[in-house]
Amino acid sequence: MNRHLIAMEYATLSNGLKVVIVPDASAPVVTVGVYYKIGFRLEPQGRSGFAHLFEHMMFQGSANAAKMQHIKLINSSGGLLNGSTHYDVTNYYEAMPSNALERVLWLEADRMRALKVDDENLRNQRDVVKEEVRVNVMNQPYGGFPWLDLPPVAFRNWANAHNFYGDFADLDAADLADVQAFFKTYYVPNNAVLLVLGDVKADEGVALAQKYFGDIPAGVPPPFADPLEPEQKEERRGHVEEKFGTLPAMAIGYTVPERRTTDWCAMALLDQALHGGRAGRMYRDLVLEKQIAVEADGGIDDIFGYNGPTQMVTRILHKPEYSAEKTLAAFDAVIHEIQNNGISEDELDQLKVKWRSDYFSTLEGGRGGMPRYGLMHLLACFTLFDNEPKLVNTILDGFLAVKREDIQAAAKKYLRPANRAVVFRTPVKSHVKEAA
Amino acid sequence: MATQTAHLITQAPALSPERPVSWPKRTKTRLSNGLEVILAESHAIPKFHGQLSFRSGNAAVVDRGPGLAEMTATCARTGTKLRVSRQIEEDLRRIGADLSSSAGADTTGIGFAGLSELADPLLGLVDELAREAAFPEPEFERERRQKLEEVKLDRTQPGFLASERLRKVLFGDHPYAIVAPTEVQVGAYKLPQVRQVYQEFYTPENALLVMVGDFDTAAMLRSIENTFGNWSGKKPAPNKTADPAQPKGRRVYLVDVPGAVQTQIMAGCHAITRKHADWIKIGLTNSLYGGAFNSRLVMNIREDKGYTYSPRSGVHALRQHGYFSVSAAVRNDVVAASLTEMFYEMDKLRSVPVPEAELADARNYLTGVFSMSLATQDGLLSQLATVALNDLPDDYLETYRERVRALTPADLLATARKYFDSANMQIVVVGDRTQIEDQAKLFGDVEVYDAQGNRLSSSLTSDGLLKSAGLISTA
Repeated sequence: MNRHLIAMEYATLSNGLKVVIVPDASAPVVTVGVYYKIGFRLEPQGRSGFAHLFEHMMFQGSANAAKMQHIKLINSSGGLLNGSTHYDVTNYYEAMPSNALERVLWLEADRMRALKVDDENLRNQRDVVKEEVRVNVMNQPYGGFPWLDLPPVAFRNWANAHNFYGDFADLDAADLADVQAFFKTYYVPNNAVLLVLGDVKADEGVALAQKYFGDIPAGVPPPFADPLEPEQKEERRGHVEEKFGTLPAMAIGYTVPERRTTDWCAMALLDQALHGGRAGRMYRDLVLEKQIAVEADGGIDDIFGYNGPTQMVTRILHKPEYSAEKTLAAFDAVIHEIQNNGISEDELDQLKVKWRSDYFSTLEGGRGGMPRYGLMHLLACFTLFDNEPKLVNTILDGFLAVKREDIQAAAKKYLRPANRAVVFRTPVKSHVKEAA
Repeated sequence: MATQTAHLITQAPALSPERPVSWPKRTKTRLSNGLEVILAESHAIPKFHGQLSFRSGNAAVVDRGPGLAEMTATCARTGTKLRVSRQIEEDLRRIGADLSSSAGADTTGIGFAGLSELADPLLGLVDELAREAAFPEPEFERERRQKLEEVKLDRTQPGFLASERLRKVLFGDHPYAIVAPTEVQVGAYKLPQVRQVYQEFYTPENALLVMVGDFDTAAMLRSIENTFGNWSGKKPAPNKTADPAQPKGRRVYLVDVPGAVQTQIMAGCHAITRKHADWIKIGLTNSLYGGAFNSRLVMNIREDKGYTYSPRSGVHALRQHGYFSVSAAVRNDVVAASLTEMFYEMDKLRSVPVPEAELADARNYLTGVFSMSLATQDGLLSQLATVALNDLPDDYLETYRERVRALTPADLLATARKYFDSANMQIVVVGDRTQIEDQAKLFGDVEVYDAQGNRLSSSLTSDGLLKSAGLISTA
């Protein structure tokens, strides 16, 4: 079996900033990321959506680079940039020809040192974010389904259960004091990792990190609220209206075991057995064979990228002639089959080969035209959650060691009604015809 | 690490000298049966990506049934003479592979990716789908019903409704006018039609195989020869349709979605194919206008005015034609304001030469993004396939950056005047008619449609207002 090992340099500056350098001179391009260990899970109560709104503010100007300068300097160097807010991390990343590396490090350091934004910037980005929510959620069929619909049903701790994109009233309530307080609390070097991947030498990368980030003062270690969930005792259900789509839909989420345990590895392969595309049991059974559903897929989203309660989710759009209860019964039959009979050795072998292949693709894959996003993301999460970026070279072993009985045991232990939430998204009366 | 306090650097460091791109080892050849093969090595991971393309798509069979090539591609993976559908899917998983089959207007493609150590069985499966698909009747019926649900779902998506209407308006009777079949058209698909399309399209003379990844080129060529060498089949007869005329005068097409809380704007006009000598010029002009984050349109209607999250413009190449479009999903009360700014920025590019410094930034942007697109296996694959499928010169990629760097403000002014045809832009707005029709009227005569594509009467008859409840988008 081919292994694939990533060589890297890992250092920590005196201000606590972690630095990961992955040299690869195969192309004259470089990818830079700064990850902060704060996501929407632990944003302040009464300020739903704030972590994401704040992410937008990080592009609005810093001490020595005014609004537009971040974007302009990077684009005009031949680079691309973006940022994204996740459950437990927020990232800012760029990819560009390697001759612009110092410029990009300077920009990232400048905004880690001091954010410089005003009320006008905040009003502007609040409007932009509202249009983002409209285009992705409120004006789309099945918008936000199920990633925004399931958490309030599945979880009881506000951290895990609130609206991550934000209620508009909360977005409106956010002010500049909130912005600076959030920045001061969480955007400190000792709560972040800097990653440089590509056309850079290991020692040169660390020296540049020191040059640009070394004198940013460390902050007080951020306080983190406990995102633990109280024990769930019975199945939870919820209902949401679907305004545009005409097919009834449902999502079933099972809470995933603690990360980096044997059960977690078994759950990941179980996920692959259930959701692995057209070969997955859900799609095969509900779409191809019984033809109850039009879509049936899902899984554990971004399995390496979260650090708190999360779910394995199946998303189903089904034909209206089948009731929700009938459809759910067909879903349950797939679950019961794997609980009662487990999987064959042959199926397990297939799952492992595919898992390994998908893992390599994650390591190589880019995002939005930026190479090495996948590798950067894994390195960042392993650094911030485990202080161990080299896990990228060993994490696969746990999944490849899973046995048949582990899969069946995980199915029995975790795919129980008392460990799940179900959300039904039901179309309101079709208004398409009324309009004609 | 030792603390050393350097002076705070308050200015962006200059760019250091650029490093040259080292082009990956690349081989182009043709098997005796006509199959064109392009291979490039890239050893970043022990995997490879491939694409078997056929130079025929939905446009070539639109008279028989819109979307018929797509239906054929979908069904091609549902059974062969040797394997039933379920076996195909499990065998793919067994070798750690991904596979997709689909058809656009001009091409049909089987895309695949897999582990280097298991390349031969994957090539074997791709070959089997390309020449021994069996099209079992029950699978066809199931995929057809599945397709019916998909086309219904499409009609609830504002982005789909906008691009569907724009293509109809721009291309009229030409096959490019159709982006998706109607429910009735899907209902009319017959299995013999699908088999016929397969016979005609899926031949080695009509095909291009591109592979990029972790393999030894000589060994991979032998595998390809062993696998595909004894396949045979002719190129289908070309069918060229009469050129559609660019619609004259601005006109507005409103697709009414009652209750929409946002309006999807999309405006467009005819442009050019990739083979056209102006292609790179229009690409650079577009990136200045609305093709990059720091473009004029994004800075204006997003970063200055906050009308939208998702403004963008693009040049879309089809084999025989092309079109330019600009789009944004905006707040309902700023539809007219957004259109005004879209036209303002377009007309400014047509009227005032771009300052040299801004042009230099845009040139850097385009060449940098291009370099990055070559740095992943599937990125390089996509570039190589685009060059080959559009019959562009073999050195197209190598000379691309020089040609971008040679462009001047005068080139861009001429390009904007020629192709950003603001006086003849066709404007589509998808949203709640009661909230946007008055704004739409300001830009031309308005034709109103429902989401099913039915034309509605031009005067507003209902005032029933329905009450309703990442940093940049990369779609």
